[in-house]
Amino acid sequence: MSVVDHNAIELGPRISEAEVGDYIALLKPRVMSLVIFTALVGLVIAPGHVHPVLAFTSLLCIAVGAGASGALNMALEGDIDALMSRTANRPIPRGRVTASEAMAFGLTLAFFSVMTLGILVNWYAGALLAFTIFFYVVIYTMWLKRWTAQNIVIGGAAGSLPPVVAWVAATGSLSVEPLLLFLIIFFWTPPHFWALALFRSDDYARAGIPMLPVVAGPDATRLQILLYTIVLVAVAVAPWPLGYFDAIYGLTSLVLGGGMMACAIHVYRRRERTESLRATRRMFAFSILYLFALFATLLLEVAGRAIAAAIG
Amino acid sequence: MSDRREPDGIVLTEAQKRSRRQRSIAIALALGVLVVLFFAVTIVKGPAVLNRPM
Repeated sequence: MSVVDHNAIELGPRISEAEVGDYIALLKPRVMSLVIFTALVGLVIAPGHVHPVLAFTSLLCIAVGAGASGALNMALEGDIDALMSRTANRPIPRGRVTASEAMAFGLTLAFFSVMTLGILVNWYAGALLAFTIFFYVVIYTMWLKRWTAQNIVIGGAAGSLPPVVAWVAATGSLSVEPLLLFLIIFFWTPPHFWALALFRSDDYARAGIPMLPVVAGPDATRLQILLYTIVLVAVAVAPWPLGYFDAIYGLTSLVLGGGMMACAIHVYRRRERTESLRATRRMFAFSILYLFALFATLLLEVAGRAIAAAIG
Repeated sequence: MSDRREPDGIVLTEAQKRSRRQRSIAIALALGVLVVLFFAVTIVKGPAVLNRPM
């Protein structure tokens, strides 16, 4: 048998059986939904009128860009995803999609989302979306995640950018308000992900990812969660006294912030196995509700103003 | 055992054919959405679509 014949048999083409659902899973739909929602808020609170078609185009491009980031992240993390129970069912560890297929899919979507946003909306927004994808894939996934316990602190910047991209898409410029939204998500990210890492620390340790509970231990993580939550609550309330957002937002932020503080204090104080597990799970779940409710309040404020203007 | 490949080449299984068809339809739909999007934005912007400031 010649070498060529041998290779043809042993290295014959792999015929994919991946279905559309597998490719949709590569986009991380749950992360995408949060990105779409925060981007929608950035778009809606931006001053001036944005044509609905352009608004839809912007949101679609931001959503596809986020999906591309997710696919590229999975393409690069197939080895560690297979080791963690939370991620072992993803398409690459299950063998439904190869890493190179996911990479090609992610790069294609990244290219089209950035170019479409640049051509149809504006190039500032397109460039910022490209930077967001680059930051998530190269800075966070390829560099920080396997290197430092501060991975999600710095990497959180990528997840904080969608409302800024949406604002820039709507206005063509940058202002204080989207940066406030950026800061809220930025300081929300560590308590949210460290709560997850506390009850999934075995997973992360098995995969060799230096998450804070693995590297510094659960007690240090609990303290960091508490400290970051204090900063988060302060940052989230600040836009009200500074005059950027209205009183409804300010009061909602205070109430929700009280809930976040209570969760963080519970996580800090409850250190027995079962109690600790319950406290961290509650913190993780409440933090999602916190961010959603905070941003939803901004949407309601804008809707309320629009209704008042229409009536008055 | 023969060391030569069958002359009829690669034959797809039913599952492979079905998933390939699904993926092809999804790509066609995505391209269709892209075409509609570019058309709609062109109509919305009117002549300003040619104005491309950085």
